[in-house]
Amino acid sequence: MNFDKVIAGFFIIFAMTLNFGFFYGELSDITMHSRYELFAAIVINIIATVLKLGDRTQMGSVLLATSLVAVIQLIAAASVWAIAGYNVVISQETTAVIVSLSGGALLANITSVILYIGETVKSKR
Amino acid sequence: MRNSALWMILHKMRTPFLVIIISYTISITGLLLIEGMDANGNAYQMTIFDAFYFVTYTATTIGFGETPFEFTYAQRLWVSAMIYLSVISWFYAVGTLVSLLQDKLFLSQIAQNKFKRQVNNIKESFVIILGYNYTTSEIIKIINDSDIRVVVVESDQQRVDSLMLENFTPNVPALKANSYDAHTLELAGIKSKYCKSVVTLYKTDELNLRVALASKMLNPNITVAAKSTTPNHTENLKDLGVEIVENPFKIIASHINHALNAPNLLKIERWIYQIGLLSDSLPTLPHGKYIVSGFGRMGKEINKVFEKNNIDCQFIEIDSNKDDKKIDKNINIIYGDSDDKDILTKANVQDSVAIIAGTNDDTVNISILKTAKKLNPNIITIARENNIEDFSIFENAKIDHIFMPSKILINKTTNALIKPSADKFIKHLTKKDEAWGQSLVKRLINTIDENPKLHVLHLTKDTAPAILEEIEENNDSMKLEILKRSLSNRKISNNIVPLMIYNSKDKKELLLPSWDEFLREDDKILFACDSYAIDEIEYIAENYYELHYVLTGEEKSKFKLKDKGI
Repeated sequence: MNFDKVIAGFFIIFAMTLNFGFFYGELSDITMHSRYELFAAIVINIIATVLKLGDRTQMGSVLLATSLVAVIQLIAAASVWAIAGYNVVISQETTAVIVSLSGGALLANITSVILYIGETVKSKR
Repeated sequence: MRNSALWMILHKMRTPFLVIIISYTISITGLLLIEGMDANGNAYQMTIFDAFYFVTYTATTIGFGETPFEFTYAQRLWVSAMIYLSVISWFYAVGTLVSLLQDKLFLSQIAQNKFKRQVNNIKESFVIILGYNYTTSEIIKIINDSDIRVVVVESDQQRVDSLMLENFTPNVPALKANSYDAHTLELAGIKSKYCKSVVTLYKTDELNLRVALASKMLNPNITVAAKSTTPNHTENLKDLGVEIVENPFKIIASHINHALNAPNLLKIERWIYQIGLLSDSLPTLPHGKYIVSGFGRMGKEINKVFEKNNIDCQFIEIDSNKDDKKIDKNINIIYGDSDDKDILTKANVQDSVAIIAGTNDDTVNISILKTAKKLNPNIITIARENNIEDFSIFENAKIDHIFMPSKILINKTTNALIKPSADKFIKHLTKKDEAWGQSLVKRLINTIDENPKLHVLHLTKDTAPAILEEIEENNDSMKLEILKRSLSNRKISNNIVPLMIYNSKDKKELLLPSWDEFLREDDKILFACDSYAIDEIEYIAENYYELHYVLTGEEKSKFKLKDKGI
């Protein structure tokens, strides 16, 4: 067992599960989506990205790319929320934008996980 | 990977980034959990963005104050703990980045990238020179004067630095790396279409062979100039297809041969190499008994020359184990220190006409000649000078003939790279005899001066359009003689001596062609002339009007654009 691989796998899957937790729920209802869950998803996604930095293998580069996509989408969602937060009520449209951005990030997360699983299955050890 | 410097930064910054993310997360989470109080005394929960904003400016020690409302004591307690955590992690990241910028490996990566960019930006012919020392720096100076650029690979950082201090113009990109590495050669642009040749003049033959092999494998089309001091390596290099194989000792031996038999040829050769004038005194060596100290690579080459000329010769070698089995029984060798009076007396220094000090130690060489001169004041002294730094010592030692292998390498390499025609001429020259040389020296001094310039005219559409057109129109009836006519009066000749015509297409190589020789396309003509004549030759070759004048003696009056068919 390689401890580095445990860490890498943990963060990749954790990033996806947290993101899914935030995304799941009525698209236009802000009460269905916790801001704290989004915060946690962003932090874990950034950690998953940093862990891939400087990895010069083919797989490492692809994983870095997908994580970067997820991080950018999530930060965009958080920024929209922070800007819209100045209004007292967050409209349905804004909610839809936030949640769908995180949905895109979720797709990137899923891609990461599929790649990760694919490599694990291929691995002989 | 192409951009390895960037990857190195990213890889090394992984831990600092993680530390920052985690410390920020802990700080933000704490601020979110602790209840604050707004201006009216109501309970207030910080938003995520407020918390992130506060942590960001606190961690970077900017400190805008407590926002959005004044903190409660519970919040302040947390913030005082949080500041230490986040500020320290921030400084840790900055510190790592700074130390990374000073990292040797990182800096070498940056230097390598810069070198690669510089090489890629060279859009004209260039030469790769391996190793930077006195010899190659002189070669660089000469090559830089022509239109060819130079790229250097050197394994010692100090030498690379001293190259940078030289401030060559145009700039010479230099890389610190092991030159026998194929990857290094690729970085130096060996696969580029602009790369014309690789020069490897290392002291060890093995290294030269290795570099030559790697270069030829990477790009079979380039010219390789390699130094080789043993027949074995020379053969290997020739098998690889190396075009220019240089053995300084062989050249010295051939110079000695010329000095014995045909000093005028040696004089011409020295003039072409620009180490002497045609008016210098004849570099002759007398026939008689010679003493040669040192039976190494140079001694063996000299021995061949002496055997050919039937000259009696006594070798002195200090190392009795050197090549014990291979030595021919016919060679007279005394083993011992040639610096020793007894040994020199034993070698019969009193009856010898000349002594050659050919060891690879300059101090020993001078000392041998001094001792010999004391024992026999009439003896002619010949020294091999290994280090160019010892130049002034040798000059003051009043030695009759000095041979410098490094200087010979400089001349040979630059001639072969920049003036291949001159190199070809020397090759033919060595087969001629003394009478031929004497008459050529006389002719050169009489028609030109004691130091004529060399000029090559290549008859192509680019370099001699007027002549080529005339050849096509008038069915090859153009004589070499038109090139010597003066443009101010066609009946007067300029100071020109044609040394050689050669044509790579039909393998014609003609030494000292007569003025009646017909010109043909793709001919290369090597002239010895003065700088005035060089100008006129180029005018005649390129300008229809000037050519018309020297052909007919009339000015061409009508405006005519021949190549446009008007």
